[in-house]
Amino acid sequence: MAQTRSVVRPAFIRGEALLGLAFVLPIVVIMGSLVFLPLVTTVLDSFYRIDPMRAGQPFIGVKNYVDLAGDQNVRISWGNTLAYVVMAVVLETLGGLGAALLLNKVQRGRQWLLAAMVVPWCLPPVVNAIVWLWIYNPSYGLLNNVLMSLGLLDAPKVWFNDRGTGLFLITLVHVWRMMPLTGIILLAALQSVPRELYEAAKLDGAGSVKAFRLVTLPLISGGLAIAMSQSTVFAFNLFDEAWIMGGSSLDSRSIIVQVYLSAFQNLRFSYGMALSLLAMLASLIVSMIYVLRVYRETRMD
Amino acid sequence: MGTRARNSLLPTFGKALAVVLLLVWSLGPIYWALATSFTTPADLVSKVPHFFPPEVTTEHYARLFGGSSVSQGNTVQSVWPEFSAALLNSLLTSLAATILTVAVAAFGAYAFVRLRFPGRDILFILVVATMAIPAYTVMIPLYRLMISLGMIDTYVGITLIYVSAFLPLALWLMRTVYQTLPISLEEAAWLDGAGRIYTLVRIVLPLAAPGLIAAAILTFLNAWGQFIVPLVFSPTLATKPLTVLIPEFVTRNYVDYGLMNAAGILAIIPPVLLVIFLNRYLVSGLMAGAQK
Repeated sequence: MAQTRSVVRPAFIRGEALLGLAFVLPIVVIMGSLVFLPLVTTVLDSFYRIDPMRAGQPFIGVKNYVDLAGDQNVRISWGNTLAYVVMAVVLETLGGLGAALLLNKVQRGRQWLLAAMVVPWCLPPVVNAIVWLWIYNPSYGLLNNVLMSLGLLDAPKVWFNDRGTGLFLITLVHVWRMMPLTGIILLAALQSVPRELYEAAKLDGAGSVKAFRLVTLPLISGGLAIAMSQSTVFAFNLFDEAWIMGGSSLDSRSIIVQVYLSAFQNLRFSYGMALSLLAMLASLIVSMIYVLRVYRETRMD
Repeated sequence: MGTRARNSLLPTFGKALAVVLLLVWSLGPIYWALATSFTTPADLVSKVPHFFPPEVTTEHYARLFGGSSVSQGNTVQSVWPEFSAALLNSLLTSLAATILTVAVAAFGAYAFVRLRFPGRDILFILVVATMAIPAYTVMIPLYRLMISLGMIDTYVGITLIYVSAFLPLALWLMRTVYQTLPISLEEAAWLDGAGRIYTLVRIVLPLAAPGLIAAAILTFLNAWGQFIVPLVFSPTLATKPLTVLIPEFVTRNYVDYGLMNAAGILAIIPPVLLVIFLNRYLVSGLMAGAQK
């Protein structure tokens, strides 16, 4: 980038810094006041007791965090979120990889197949959840109807009666929305793999599975890491689907639903802040793990 | 030649099957919502599954648009007053957030790429790093801030929150766009005596148009689909968007799936139009947004 500046030295070079600052001033104001300031406040306030319904805001140290550790509801929410994350990352990565490999092979009409795949990502998650809730409806839903007409089910099932099934079905709606993103990231990665490598692998007698393992997989590992960390962060912050399909039910309550309930229904602001902070840290740490692992592995090759 | 044709037959069939599977998975639920929205309440609760409405009805849409309508012999109050207000709110906040975000990102990203000023790199890293911070993390203090500013349930408040949430992605996108533009064009303009701002507006921005469109689409889709922010910050119909209104149809006497699917179909029209007409920009935006 440095060499680009040397050719012409505009006379207005002195104004450059001023102009740059003027251009980024709106960013500083908006991000500073609506993201960074609240973020700092979240950290600080989590050490105080801030409940809008109670007088005073005393410093209580790590009491919020200690309470969180002993809160049964919070523990169950962590478990649910863990289940969401594991299922979502696995399904999105496998499904997205399959879709990307397919799209990479399709020559005619790829643009339209890609468009069709992207549609679920573009829709409001709330609408997705409602549409799927109707599909899952125990009495008149499409899922029961299809399974029964295929002979796989004798009687209609109330899907959300079972916690595990409920978690899986909510995850499926989330996967329906987020898989296209994984697919697109991996398609971009696949398209950057040089064709000659496949030719060389074929000449060396490698079958398609072996070529995939030895050529494709290492070369798209960067894309995989990005896709998986995106999946992780989004699944960690799953709210819309869980809230629409399960409401405040403990069986499906994600950690962000718990934050929402703590802060805006039980009106325990600083308790919610402490929990939202922990959720953010957890999702950051997990996604960093992918990035670091892939970084290390690709460096060794 | 013969073996080759036979060898490629199976993969071709498998590929076709996979394409069909992907299409059914992606579009099937949307078709189902569409079919449901045109099915009579009686057929919705029939024991026989219908993959196509046996009797096409527009009564669910009539309840959304009309004055009042007749359903199962009863006159049903229309939800048009609420629906239209929420539709307007969704459009206004999403469009305002889109315009503001793209405008700020267009100039800001240019500064990050082409202008040198103190704190440039650290500011860019800080702003882009917030992409990893979900909006929910800062929502509680933001709520208290908005209350103290009197901006709860106002267009300005909602729009600004959207901008703060979607600006980092737009900045990231626009920076990659500017980085690929050759600087020689700008230098030629400067030699001709054009100023920085004139060059940016008349030469750089037109060249960056595809990137600007991609940033606008991503921002609009994100804002249009937002749920938790308006759930907290838009308690009344003054700013309540469709995403918050539509689920409220559940909490009435019974779950009106016909109405909800009809409202859902209407709510997905703008995103679907964007995919149909601008999917090239959308996909390139998603790809650029996901790099590195």
